[in-house]
Amino acid sequence: MNNHQDFDVIVIGGGITGAGTARDCSMRGLKVLLIERHDIANGATGRNHGLLHSGARYAVKDAESAEECIKENQILRKIAAHCVDDTQGLFITLPEDAETGYGLDYQKDFVEACLKSGINAKVIDPKEAIRMEPSVNPTLIGAVQVPDGSVDPFRLCSANIVDAQLHGAKVLTYTEVTEFIKNGDTIEGVKVRNTVTGEEAEYRASVTVNAAGIWGHDIAQMAGVNIGMYPAKGALLVFAHRVNNVVINRCRKSADGDILVPGDSVTVIGTTSTKVPFEECDHMTVTPQEVELLLREGCALCPSLATTRILRAYAGVRPLVAADDDPTGRSISRGIVCLDHETRDGVKGFISITGGKLMTYRLMAEIATDAVCKKLNSSAQCQTATTPLPGSESTGVKEVSKKLWGSATQGQKAAAGRLGAKAAEVEFNSPEDKQLICECENVTLAEIKYAVKHLNVNTMEDLRRRTRVGMGTCQGTFCIRKAAKALAIAKGEPETADKLAADFLSERWKGMKAVGWGDTLREMEFMQKVYKAGKPDTYKD
Amino acid sequence: MKFDVIIIGGGHAGSRVACGLQDSGLKCAVITSGRSIHGSTLAQFEKKGGMVLADDEITNTCIQDSKLVSVKTEKLGDVVLEAANFVIATGKFFSKGLVSDMKKVWEPIFGLDVEYSEDRTTWYTDNFADHQPFLDFGVKVDETSKPSIEGKTVNNLYAVGELLAGVSCAEKDDLAAVDATADKVIDIIKAQ
Repeated sequence: MNNHQDFDVIVIGGGITGAGTARDCSMRGLKVLLIERHDIANGATGRNHGLLHSGARYAVKDAESAEECIKENQILRKIAAHCVDDTQGLFITLPEDAETGYGLDYQKDFVEACLKSGINAKVIDPKEAIRMEPSVNPTLIGAVQVPDGSVDPFRLCSANIVDAQLHGAKVLTYTEVTEFIKNGDTIEGVKVRNTVTGEEAEYRASVTVNAAGIWGHDIAQMAGVNIGMYPAKGALLVFAHRVNNVVINRCRKSADGDILVPGDSVTVIGTTSTKVPFEECDHMTVTPQEVELLLREGCALCPSLATTRILRAYAGVRPLVAADDDPTGRSISRGIVCLDHETRDGVKGFISITGGKLMTYRLMAEIATDAVCKKLNSSAQCQTATTPLPGSESTGVKEVSKKLWGSATQGQKAAAGRLGAKAAEVEFNSPEDKQLICECENVTLAEIKYAVKHLNVNTMEDLRRRTRVGMGTCQGTFCIRKAAKALAIAKGEPETADKLAADFLSERWKGMKAVGWGDTLREMEFMQKVYKAGKPDTYKD
Repeated sequence: MKFDVIIIGGGHAGSRVACGLQDSGLKCAVITSGRSIHGSTLAQFEKKGGMVLADDEITNTCIQDSKLVSVKTEKLGDVVLEAANFVIATGKFFSKGLVSDMKKVWEPIFGLDVEYSEDRTTWYTDNFADHQPFLDFGVKVDETSKPSIEGKTVNNLYAVGELLAGVSCAEKDDLAAVDATADKVIDIIKAQ
């Protein structure tokens, strides 16, 4: 057992909420330890639309969420400029919506509710909507423009982690909590195990924050308290190119498959909402029924999806919380839930922050950190709403890359897009460094080296979450061996390249097989041929 | 235009059949969706007098009395291409010899009978490294390599290569199984 180390606060969970909380705490001068069982952004953080909600979706039914969203939307555009793509959004009304009570009368209520919540919603002519977004269903009878955008959740999470570290936080990935250290009714710290090496350690802190998303349910139980969580699975499909440039939503009561979001080189349709058992949360698969539903609804927003190759399917689990007096989960809140387990359950030194959404992570972190500071009698104020994340100090990709490199290569521009001003730390020392490893996403060797050196990368999946390597139209078919070799060499373990590649291909394969027909099946056959011919045993365990 | 044999598909198996039959003196044509034959076996075949229709596709087929009489192609338009025997070697999904949607798999040129599972969830396994069942899908043939349409054999059409059910070289660097299907048909046609 390793030596003890003392912190002010331990944050459990390396998703966006944990990362944001670690950043906020460390910026308020607290000594922070963040513990994550897998890699950062591995749960719901990395398995959603990547939609920068304007809040319009919630305006009619849940004004509070809508107001939270638009406020955070405006904040993220400033503090996380390099993670946000200002695509704007449309809420469209289709002829069939009129038949179900969501015609143009509803549009009027919708716009009114948006304006009331501070969302700048503007009715535009359907023809104008088609000009703005040519891929939109041309039969639309109504359109409202709202300030939606898209946000890269991996980049956002990584930037929060980096900033927390810059403020002195210690971050341990691939480390799971095995037990709480308790003294009477007080939680004094955690026992942990490194999931790769098996090494164990103990860490102590005055306050522990449970920010583990849906897995926070288990963490709370380990601490001896119960949170009535409601795991709601959401499935999504990724299409092989950026079909639309503007977010397309359906102007009706929230339903399955009614948001289409462009993100980098692809487009994502989602989502569904189904309760799943806790034991399935680690192994989400998308069913054929979900795929059919998403495709059908997606085509209603954008008919050309019917003939677009689908790259893969994936699903995340929303950490929704049932009201304390309603264990059946009927009155589910999608709002932020911050529980002080001392006042609620008599367990001291323990806070849970859950519910909420990617969009409101910063606010969740602020609320959690306020609760931590209250416990620690600290009066430090939150600065995360105004202090840019690392990389967002400058305003644009063009400005950054011009300043850094004069005439930038595609790979350098992409690095500037992903890392913002932090791209200055990517070392383009030789012609090899400039070469593209992943051509779909323009990832250079230099950026891979940078990620390994500074962003705590162990596996190809970790590398994907930092750089988007293998996320593009070929799903790694052309680049994985190159990327795995680059990663293995950068890690100083060249002999592990085949294993790194094999693990990554298996992960991609799971997402492809959910949508394995038509052109995707062609790609799957091709992938088998490229990787197995001549080396049939390379990918066996 | 009349030929002894028309081969549809200019990949490994189709080229092998074309060259093999040409060497035994038969007048052959190859129709392939491949853009260029430069540097391939088919370049030799063409040099020796074989006809290659590259970057082309079948637009029309004429079957009478269980025999394939003729085909037409996109590029030659109304020109009727007749032959005593036809060979199809269009490969699996990647080369579009087989086409699939959410529910089914079919052979797009003739609608040949195809062996596949109707339950899509059984088409693949979870692990990339495993043998993938969909690579076994393909056209069914009788013992003389003849495929059928709705159970009826087409008497002068032969199917070879990866198009066939159970034949795939995706997971092995071994073309022997593919070559064997081609050689068998070469022998059958030569013996006529």
